[in-house]
Amino acid sequence: MKWRNSTVIPAVLSISLFFCYSGLDHQAQAQGNADKEKITVLSPKGQPPPIQMKPMAPRLDTLDGKTVYLVNDGYLGTDILLGEMQAWFKANMPQVNTVYKVKGGGGFTAEDPDLWAEIKAKADAVIMGMGH
Amino acid sequence: MAAVVGHCVNIESILGVPTVPLIISEFYEQVKTHHTVQKGMPGLRVTYLIPPVWGKTAEQIRRDIVGNSPPTGKMIMREIVENLTKPLTTEEQKTGTIEQSAGPASYTDTLDNLQRIFLENRMTDYMPIILPTEGKVAQMLKGTSHDPDEVVGKMAAHTAMPGENNVEVFEHWSYTVKTVAINAVMAGAKPEYLPVILAVASTGKEAISVSDNSFTEGLIINGPIRDEIGLNYGIGALGPFSQANSTIGRAWNLLSINAGNCGRVGTTYMGVIGNPMNWNNVIMAENEEASPWQPFHVRKGFKPNDSVVTLCEGWGILSAKNSRYSVWEREMDFSGTLKKIVADQDMLFGAMAVLSPPVADYIKEEGFDTVEKLVQFISESAGGQGNIPQAKKMPPLPKGKLPQGKMPFRWGPQINIVVTGGANNNYWSYGGMAPRQSVLIDDWR
Repeated sequence: MKWRNSTVIPAVLSISLFFCYSGLDHQAQAQGNADKEKITVLSPKGQPPPIQMKPMAPRLDTLDGKTVYLVNDGYLGTDILLGEMQAWFKANMPQVNTVYKVKGGGGFTAEDPDLWAEIKAKADAVIMGMGH
Repeated sequence: MAAVVGHCVNIESILGVPTVPLIISEFYEQVKTHHTVQKGMPGLRVTYLIPPVWGKTAEQIRRDIVGNSPPTGKMIMREIVENLTKPLTTEEQKTGTIEQSAGPASYTDTLDNLQRIFLENRMTDYMPIILPTEGKVAQMLKGTSHDPDEVVGKMAAHTAMPGENNVEVFEHWSYTVKTVAINAVMAGAKPEYLPVILAVASTGKEAISVSDNSFTEGLIINGPIRDEIGLNYGIGALGPFSQANSTIGRAWNLLSINAGNCGRVGTTYMGVIGNPMNWNNVIMAENEEASPWQPFHVRKGFKPNDSVVTLCEGWGILSAKNSRYSVWEREMDFSGTLKKIVADQDMLFGAMAVLSPPVADYIKEEGFDTVEKLVQFISESAGGQGNIPQAKKMPPLPKGKLPQGKMPFRWGPQINIVVTGGANNNYWSYGGMAPRQSVLIDDWR
């Protein structure tokens, strides 16, 4: 028997369309499942350290007769700020002895052991600036 | 501002002397909820100033300090006195240890919800991520021989300058090889990139600096690893044109956000303008083969066959065509132009020139057969175009003798040369970026 194109082509197309549709349906179902399916993923976080609470220093009864260090941490304008504060103490609380210091060490965060030792020995209180 | 808090916490707790840190009121939330708590002194008596202070005249400041502190409404000078004399409350005298948690070890939900959870909890760079399933992380861990539980390092939103004795500004979070692998998966990295990412992670250097300067970070990658993992050092070397270049920088960012607690606006990120280079950092694989000079890592003392990553920090890199000196001329004077540009540049981070191979070749033909000779030439007085300091290590600043009105920085000056990119034209870039530590990638294979 001789196959006729007019019969074969529609048949092949029908079969193809069926599988095509069927595949799309499965894909849609899979996508739907993926949308609903729950998976477990890992946290990318590091571990923060515990916080050790530190004691604050006792406050002074009065500033009269006390020595207050005005410490410049190095940010621009702090020299003017602390200078004006020093002038305010002189004008308004002349019993307060103020000492202006520039923290050394070459950076805002740098320690200055010599200054810390001086503060421990001579200062009753510290005003430090400036957080810009 | 965190430095002032740190110093005052130490003066109070170690020296036993009462303090008042002075901080502009823009940082109230950051200091109140973050810095004082993390440093273990939530009651630290900060007096907040009327911003800004920098730039104001003495007369303006004189007026401000008898004005009211914005958060409290109290006259600033009276509040300072009160902060030094008012007895401590019971709350302010609390001591002990507070354990902190980074949250759950895993999350279970649908794909869309997990993307949302990661984004809303600021565990991404606001772009979609590859979700780090146990399977994908296990696959990533095949990129290294190191134990997944090995602690790689600690990171904070601010890194102290090398060699300095510094007060801790931000708390340091710790992380393991597995944490690094999880973030590498999220970034879209391949397992073979992991040794590079681990080497970077081992330094503890954050990719996203807290600084209000809006700094960016960078990597210079040298050695055989470049070809092994497909890093691009040809056309578009500094751009997003290979998976390795794109995802290594992103992995560093994600690690910094998640494992170093960096990049949280208002607390651990304060860049005033921000920096587009923060998206992926400045990733530079050197074109060693096309360079007329020794590779960057060899000049740092490593062997040619070592695979090395060098971390950099600074303002970023931009085309030299941005400079008025780098005009199109019939005959280009590349070394002279480089010298003029460097002379006009702020030297906080020194200068970094990123030369394409043809430009490097031109400069070599001018007689600079080593980078050292070129750097020496650039470092000399720039003949009427401004002067730059000699390229040598700055002496330490004298204690307590900081010139008034000067910033106490001491990284620069230094000049660094990297050769990378294509050979299709005579272009080059420059910027202020200072190399910090160089790390052997091979140690993390």
